[in-house]
Amino acid sequence: MTALEPATKKKRISKKNKSAWRKTDIQDVEQFLEDQRQEERIGTFTDKQDEELFVLDASPQKTTKSTVLSVKQKRKLNAKKPMRSHQALVNTSRVQDPIAKRNHVRQKKNGRNIELEVCNPTKPRHRQANSDRAQYYEKLEQRLADKRNKKVAIDKDIWQEVDFRDAIPGLKDEKGWISRDLALHTAGNIGKKVVKTHASLHHKTTKAKKFELPHPGMSYNPAPEDHQALISEVVEREEGIIKKEQHLKRVTTSMFSKVTPEERDRRRLEEMSQGIEDEEGAEKSTENAEEDADKPYHTINAPVENKKKSKQARRKELKQKELSRQTELKRKLKQQTADLIRIKSIRHELDDEEEDLNDLKKRRKQRAEKAKFEPKRLGRHKFEEPDLDVNLPEDLAGNLRNVKTESSLLKDRFHTLQRNNMLPTTKLVSRKKAKVKRFERSSHKEPGVSYQDLKDRRRAAAAAAKAAADIKI
Amino acid sequence: MRRPKKYEAGEATQYISRRAALRKLQLSLNDFRRLCILKGVYPREPKHRRRAQKGSSEIKVLYHTKDIRFLLHESIVWTLRDYKIFAKKSNRDRAIKDFRNLKRRLALFPEIKLDHIVKERYPTFIDALKDLDDCLTLLFLFSTFPSLHLIPREQSNLCRRLTIEFLHYVIASKSLRKVFISIKGYYFQAEIKGQKVTWIVPHYYPFKPQSRQEVDFKVMSIFVEFYTIMLGFTNFRLFHGLNLAYPPQFPSSVLQDSEESLKDEASFVSDRIAALNFELLRTDKVQEDEEELDIDMELLEQDGDSKRIIKMKQEAQEVSRLRTLFKGLKFFINREVPREPLVILIRSFGGKVSWDSSVFAGSAYDESDETITHQIVDRPSLATQYISRDYVQPQWLFDCVNQRQLLPTNKYFLGEKLPPHLSPFVDSKRDTYIPPEEKALLDPSLIETHAQSDDDSEDEAEKEEEETVDQELLDAQLQLAYQQETAEYKKYGGPDGVNEDEEDPEEDDEEDDDDDEEEEEEVDEKTKRLQQEKQKMSVQSGKVHKVNKRQVHKAEVDEHRLQARMVKPRHRNLFRKLIREKQTKEKEEWLLRKKRRTIEAGEKEARKTAKREARKEAAAAAAKASKLGK
Repeated sequence: MTALEPATKKKRISKKNKSAWRKTDIQDVEQFLEDQRQEERIGTFTDKQDEELFVLDASPQKTTKSTVLSVKQKRKLNAKKPMRSHQALVNTSRVQDPIAKRNHVRQKKNGRNIELEVCNPTKPRHRQANSDRAQYYEKLEQRLADKRNKKVAIDKDIWQEVDFRDAIPGLKDEKGWISRDLALHTAGNIGKKVVKTHASLHHKTTKAKKFELPHPGMSYNPAPEDHQALISEVVEREEGIIKKEQHLKRVTTSMFSKVTPEERDRRRLEEMSQGIEDEEGAEKSTENAEEDADKPYHTINAPVENKKKSKQARRKELKQKELSRQTELKRKLKQQTADLIRIKSIRHELDDEEEDLNDLKKRRKQRAEKAKFEPKRLGRHKFEEPDLDVNLPEDLAGNLRNVKTESSLLKDRFHTLQRNNMLPTTKLVSRKKAKVKRFERSSHKEPGVSYQDLKDRRRAAAAAAKAAADIKI
Repeated sequence: MRRPKKYEAGEATQYISRRAALRKLQLSLNDFRRLCILKGVYPREPKHRRRAQKGSSEIKVLYHTKDIRFLLHESIVWTLRDYKIFAKKSNRDRAIKDFRNLKRRLALFPEIKLDHIVKERYPTFIDALKDLDDCLTLLFLFSTFPSLHLIPREQSNLCRRLTIEFLHYVIASKSLRKVFISIKGYYFQAEIKGQKVTWIVPHYYPFKPQSRQEVDFKVMSIFVEFYTIMLGFTNFRLFHGLNLAYPPQFPSSVLQDSEESLKDEASFVSDRIAALNFELLRTDKVQEDEEELDIDMELLEQDGDSKRIIKMKQEAQEVSRLRTLFKGLKFFINREVPREPLVILIRSFGGKVSWDSSVFAGSAYDESDETITHQIVDRPSLATQYISRDYVQPQWLFDCVNQRQLLPTNKYFLGEKLPPHLSPFVDSKRDTYIPPEEKALLDPSLIETHAQSDDDSEDEAEKEEEETVDQELLDAQLQLAYQQETAEYKKYGGPDGVNEDEEDPEEDDEEDDDDDEEEEEEVDEKTKRLQQEKQKMSVQSGKVHKVNKRQVHKAEVDEHRLQARMVKPRHRNLFRKLIREKQTKEKEEWLLRKKRRTIEAGEKEARKTAKREARKEAAAAAAKASKLGK
């Protein structure tokens, strides 16, 4: 610096006050200090080895193809790098710590350092724990493998007679000192309760056959008579259904007379305008109202009067009552004497009555007996007998190769379960999603691309492609 | 005393609505449904709905309160609750991507154990067998399913495994009795431990999707879940009853170390097991002995012979014949014929069977094997045919099994129009009236009498037809007789034994008595007498044994009276009812027969008169012609 001074003759400025000091150029000093600090931090070139400064280029000369890394590979490479957020924390300084000996305050960790114990076990219990853990994971792996192979453990005869007392160590007595009741009580109290099934669980709820055997007409190659019998059964059932439908139609739809739409509208109008009188009427009514206002108020019914009966009237009434009672008694007596002659016919009447009652009883019994074979009403819907399976005469192939199967076995099973009162009859309720009305927002001039739009577009494209393919064919 | 309130006692407390049950058990509806199906608790219909529903008359799903209280004790209720917890925790793990924990959790998934429920629902093994019909049908059906929504693939695989095991048992025990091809599927009936077990196997067609509108798949899947466990334990017991190893294995002689078998032994073995064509590994060394039935019959003979015992004897004999129906026959199944049902049939009645090796694994021999006796074909014609074997349609096998004898094959030849396939479930020996036509279909020997009845005045052409029919029937009868003879010969060891056992058990008794007496005598006298008898011995013409009808009738009446007297007083009404039913049945049968007789007689008369008139007319015409000629 001193050498340069004569060349650039610096103008001397008074350093009287603070503002004057500020104008002083101290850049060179700063620069020097900065350089020195940097040297301290990262060291000088002379300190560094050659290997640190230079890299020997050992790669082949031509580098035509730059290997394009896939996204996944890039991601993997990036994952290896330290996080950028942590970069600020890395100490890159070469500056020595001015305080030679720092007083580290080590907080005493409470609890065990499990990781340490796992990595370098020092005590026998650490080793034990490690081996236990290994066993546990081995077992886990085994269980997972079993689950994957779907092994069902069926390795015992469950119908072998086993006494529950044998399973509980204390209760097994050879000398017969512990009674069964006591054993039951004890088992219940140590958490191994013996649950008895109640008998009604095994009761049959229907008398119908659990497994229906096939009608001979359902053979794939039936005898003509059997087939006819089955078909006639089907026809009978179908006729029954038609009859019922017709009946329903007769008693509902066709019970009401039909009118033309114009007539209907007219009637509706008429009905709806009941009470609203036309203008003339209205005028009249107003006139009437005016007239009514002048007249005094009158009810339609005569006013109720509290008339007291005279003593004489009461006496007469009582007398009349007594008289009528007497005559009634007389009449009854007379009837009885007359009935003496009618004994025979009365007996007949009674017999008839009894017979009717018996008939009723019998019919009720029959109905009850029949109901035992029918499926019970378990839920909201009534069980409806499914259609019989039948091959129409033209479908009968006569050989096994061309058998036309009727109905699905799954459906059949499902109905059997319902018929046997094991399932309540249900109907699938499909909850339809509410239709969402979509429209463009007025603020959005250009519609964006939503997933729904993409889906629609894809569908339209697929349909078009399909149509094109169809045309080609 | 507190005044009793309404609905605090009686029917209202006996029933509980589903909603209340859910609240009581602390389960969701789906869990509750599952629990009920697994435990066999079903909804009930009350006698008075309004009373049971505490005044409300809408139709609710009701359960017995007792049943719900019973469910409360069930241990799987806790497992069902654990499921909910499991779902929550594992979902959390998944969300925070703690896969290590998730893996651990998955391994600890709370499995439902059902063995105690099976035991609870079916206290004895016979109970389980009684309920096997439904179970088998469902499992056979599910074994054909691909993986569907709500029906996991493992379930259908398990169904397949279990049903195959069951079929192995049926084959090994030879317990199949009746088979029927219907438009629904194949009906099979087996007799296991005295129980008739019937099931349906669906036709072998590609899977047809079922609409969810009609069937609740979830529910069916739960039923199947229970039934798989049940059938597993049933199979275990059945296999052990036959001294077979469960899960089925092959003896080492079957497994040769071929390249294929070494590659993947598990799949190789499971393929062979599914083929149903090999004997399974036994846990004991000794082969099964079929003496069991004979001993039973001997015991029964001491009871004298009422009608029932005779019937039982016949039945037993028929069954023993059926068990060896196809013994010594060798079958080959063509590729268009469904393999599995036929293999079951043939193998369970002692036949040998094979198929084209490209159709399924486990074929035993080729089509070119000259020792094959029957080839099962279901197509109108075949290019190459061997002379040494019969080409029959599959129905032949089914009909043979149902009739319990080998039927003549000529009606079932390749391309032939088949005779109708009758249902075996209609009892051919039922007590009601059976028209002669049906009888003839079931037993061809009966058609003869029918044909003889109107042979006096029929045309010659008809006669010829009848003769041909007769010839066929005669053949069938001969075959039948021969089979019976061979069967009996095998059973009793000699032709002499047959006569004694079959025709007159009383003679047996007499002989026994004689034997006793002889024992008392000394040995020398015995030999002397024997010598004398030998000298006297000669062949004499036999006499036809005359049956005194009156005596027989009297004996019958006496027996009936004795029976009536033997009936306990408390069973008297039942006995009377049975007798009355029998009488009405007999009367109905008699009436129908009479009706038929009158109709036939009328027809015959009409035919005769028509013929007579025709003859008269012809004569008149001839006379006229002759007159004209004159």
